Amino acid sequence: MIDSLSKTVSSAERFERVGVPADSTAAARARDEFSRWLQGTFDLDPNKSNDLVLAIYEALANTAEFAYLSSGFRGTMDLYAAHDPAESALSVTVADRGRWRTAPSYPDDRSRGRGIALMKALSDRASIQTSTSGTTVRLVWTGIRRR
Amino acid sequence: MNEQRESTDGTSTASGSNCEVNERLVGQVAVVATSGVVDMITAPQLEDAITAALAKSPAGLVVDLTEVEFLASAGMGVLVAAHDAAPEGVAIVIVADGPATSRPLKLVGIADIMPLHATLDEALATFAG
Repeated sequence: MIDSLSKTVSSAERFERVGVPADSTAAARARDEFSRWLQGTFDLDPNKSNDLVLAIYEALANTAEFAYLSSGFRGTMDLYAAHDPAESALSVTVADRGRWRTAPSYPDDRSRGRGIALMKALSDRASIQTSTSGTTVRLVWTGIRRR
Repeated sequence: MNEQRESTDGTSTASGSNCEVNERLVGQVAVVATSGVVDMITAPQLEDAITAALAKSPAGLVVDLTEVEFLASAGMGVLVAAHDAAPEGVAIVIVADGPATSRPLKLVGIADIMPLHATLDEALATFAG
């Protein structure tokens, strides 16, 4: 399976984790690595720093929990972050090739379903694109400067 | 105040998701204190401790997130579920202060569902008298 190829990139401008297993352990590891890259690369106050890490974790966690529920196989997810110094903008993409639930399965359970609300509240711009070939979350933060 | 330590739950060490949960009684008020990471891996530990605390029929429950470094929606869901499941008259209050806890709890409206306090003393004081 092509999905099993994984790739790791960390530089000043880019952070990539491609082919991450869509499970809770790999999501936590990708979160921690992303957090270390953020701390080492950018000048962030504690609020912004937590906002970024929490938002990308919610995207990864959603994928780990839901994306491949109906597919019958254990899929992967990709995390890309790219910094544009001219715009002081950090764009993060979390992509999978599965399907998120389009309607909540537990409409009366208010203990669930805050992940997307968090992603939107924590980022400056958020979009979620779903298609038959997968789901792509794009999160953008402005005012992000290198150390 | 007479403080009685009841139990200590285990620690999960899967991939940076370290979480420790303690449960104790302060007078008639149960205090569940958690530290570290509360995410989709460790949230069930918090849920178990809250369930155990509520089973002792306390006058109220304080969930102390002071030492929490990362709180994901899975953990927030546990708090809301506890609030909804608590018996009539048993208030659940949260201790949270800072970028990792009170900030996201306010952003998604959990602070509108149950009271948030900056310190444990402040939270315990709500049950006094």
